[in-house]
Amino acid sequence: MFQKYINSRCGIVRGLSFLVLLVILWSYFYDSAITEAVLASALRQSTPLALGALCGLMGERSGVINIGIEGQMLLSAFVGFLVSVWTGNLLFAVLTGVATGAVIGLLLAFMSVSLRIDQILGGTVINILGFGLTGYFYQVGLNTKGKLQSISLGPLQDIPLLGPVLFNNPPITYLTLVLVLVVHYVLFHTHWGLRTRAVGEHPRAVDTLGINVFLMRYTNVVLGGAIAGLAGSFLTLEAVGSFERGMTNGRGFVALAVMIFGKWTPIGSWGAALLFGLAIALQTQLQFGGQTIPHQFIGMLPYLLTVVVLAGFVGRARPPAAVGTPYTKE
Amino acid sequence: MCILFRKLIIVLFFVCLNSVVIAAASDCRKKEILCVGLVTDVGTVDDKSFNQSAWEGVQQSAEEIGTVIKYLETRDPKDYMVNISLFAENDYDVVVTVGFGLGEATSQAAKQFSDVKFIGVDQFQANALSNVAGLIFHEDQAGFQAGALAAMLSKSGVIAAVLGTNLVPPVVAFKEGYVSGARYINAKIQVISTYHPGGLAVAFTDPEWGASTAKQAIDQGADVVFGAGGTTGNGGLIEAASHSEKYCIGVDTDQWLTLPAAHPCLVSSATKRIKEGVFQLIQHAKESQFPSGNFFGEVGLSPFHDFDNKIPQYIKEKLTEIHMGLRNGSIKTK
Repeated sequence: MFQKYINSRCGIVRGLSFLVLLVILWSYFYDSAITEAVLASALRQSTPLALGALCGLMGERSGVINIGIEGQMLLSAFVGFLVSVWTGNLLFAVLTGVATGAVIGLLLAFMSVSLRIDQILGGTVINILGFGLTGYFYQVGLNTKGKLQSISLGPLQDIPLLGPVLFNNPPITYLTLVLVLVVHYVLFHTHWGLRTRAVGEHPRAVDTLGINVFLMRYTNVVLGGAIAGLAGSFLTLEAVGSFERGMTNGRGFVALAVMIFGKWTPIGSWGAALLFGLAIALQTQLQFGGQTIPHQFIGMLPYLLTVVVLAGFVGRARPPAAVGTPYTKE
Repeated sequence: MCILFRKLIIVLFFVCLNSVVIAAASDCRKKEILCVGLVTDVGTVDDKSFNQSAWEGVQQSAEEIGTVIKYLETRDPKDYMVNISLFAENDYDVVVTVGFGLGEATSQAAKQFSDVKFIGVDQFQANALSNVAGLIFHEDQAGFQAGALAAMLSKSGVIAAVLGTNLVPPVVAFKEGYVSGARYINAKIQVISTYHPGGLAVAFTDPEWGASTAKQAIDQGADVVFGAGGTTGNGGLIEAASHSEKYCIGVDTDQWLTLPAAHPCLVSSATKRIKEGVFQLIQHAKESQFPSGNFFGEVGLSPFHDFDNKIPQYIKEKLTEIHMGLRNGSIKTK
């Protein structure tokens, strides 16, 4: 009976979330300011990971592996930064960042859907391109006129604990929360989402029904690219306010782990991203408090959990069946 | 599973990618021409921090004593030796290696290339080699002055430090000096500080981590942020600049000149005069008076710039008193 409960994925996830919630509440009564600071930091750290994971899962759900998220993020971050330097208009800068992501997505789709080259290589090309181009064109001494500021949502901000954490954030952080719900709805509750998932599982069957497999894959990868572009814009235009070479620092790769942890679902990935973010924030807080627990231990936990998920310990993590295989019409 | 494995291989391959191009400088064989090569730590030569300062010292030597100069940027810690050897094998006379991380590779190279002189910035020499000069600094003293300034500026009684990795002793020295400097002014002050959890490869190049960490500290009441750790620390400074009524203190170089984005909060920087130190050592090499072992460079706080008239006179006097005390040994950092 107990064994059965452990083996059901829902049981574990619910148990874990409940435990985390209890700890958060306990620490809130212990010291509210610190708890709010840690949770706000966790949400912030999770934002680029959640966006990256959304990009990854849109591609993979339609059958295209996207390992180039890191490069997409970096290039978008750079272009967004440049536009912000030149025009000083942050909204326009974010839009160009998103557009850059989409264009790189188009390139990836072209390589993996039309040219049918190995999708891992396609993504790697994008990563190398991202590091190379941004490293080469980045000039020192460029300065933006500012970054996206927090918008507090009026009375909602006065709710204890939730208010300062959730309702006093800069725009891209809000947008991420909305996007998670939108992608979830589109993927699981619309015709278009059903077709996307079908294309990722069995493209031949979908093709026989007269649905354009190539178009489905192109749209998904391009839209995913736009989301990765938003993640890049987050880094330069909202979080830091300036660009540094290689500033993504592997977040695009961690996003892949987050996506797998979330079992290729938007809400699951968001939860996983929050867990990764919380681990990073806790690492910092442990050091602030001068605790003697090695902070690397906390930092290791989400990766350890990813391995556990991958090993099939908590239910099975199954990628879409047709992922990685280019489709050819007969 | 197979796909994942391939992903892993590709990621590893990608991480290993590091392209290095160096032109063979034939002139370096000639005795009268002094060739100086510089190898950066992971990061770039224009990092607005210690790599840049060292390179400026090398550039100064080209302008003033006519050396031939070149630099190599290290992308991955395992390429330290490769990059150093490239210069040594091309008959460079002096090789400047920037950063604690290159210490081991530098002494190894010094044994292999005994006719090349090495300047190791931030590299403490436990066993002196005749052709290596370790340019080191009393970071604890620079940090002490930063901590004293922070404690005098703080109204909340909470000050923060956002640091690179504790695998690098100078960073640890900065932090410990900062804490004792703050306590020297106000024994009850709360200092919250954190090291980047990553290794040498990422700890100094992660501005977003620095920024969110600074935010986390500010949310808990910190009103002065000390950023010590390359662009990671810079992220923390820029974050502090976007909050009102907060101060921040830079590191290594006068960051007022290198990081304009931090101007709203940047009162001063805990500087190590790396540029001057590197230049002096190159000059000594030119005059064949190359010192071996440890060579101490100067440390101190940089000018206050726009904050000059906002800092009360008593704080300035106290800082001068501390600076003198540290120099003559009447104030200890520990």
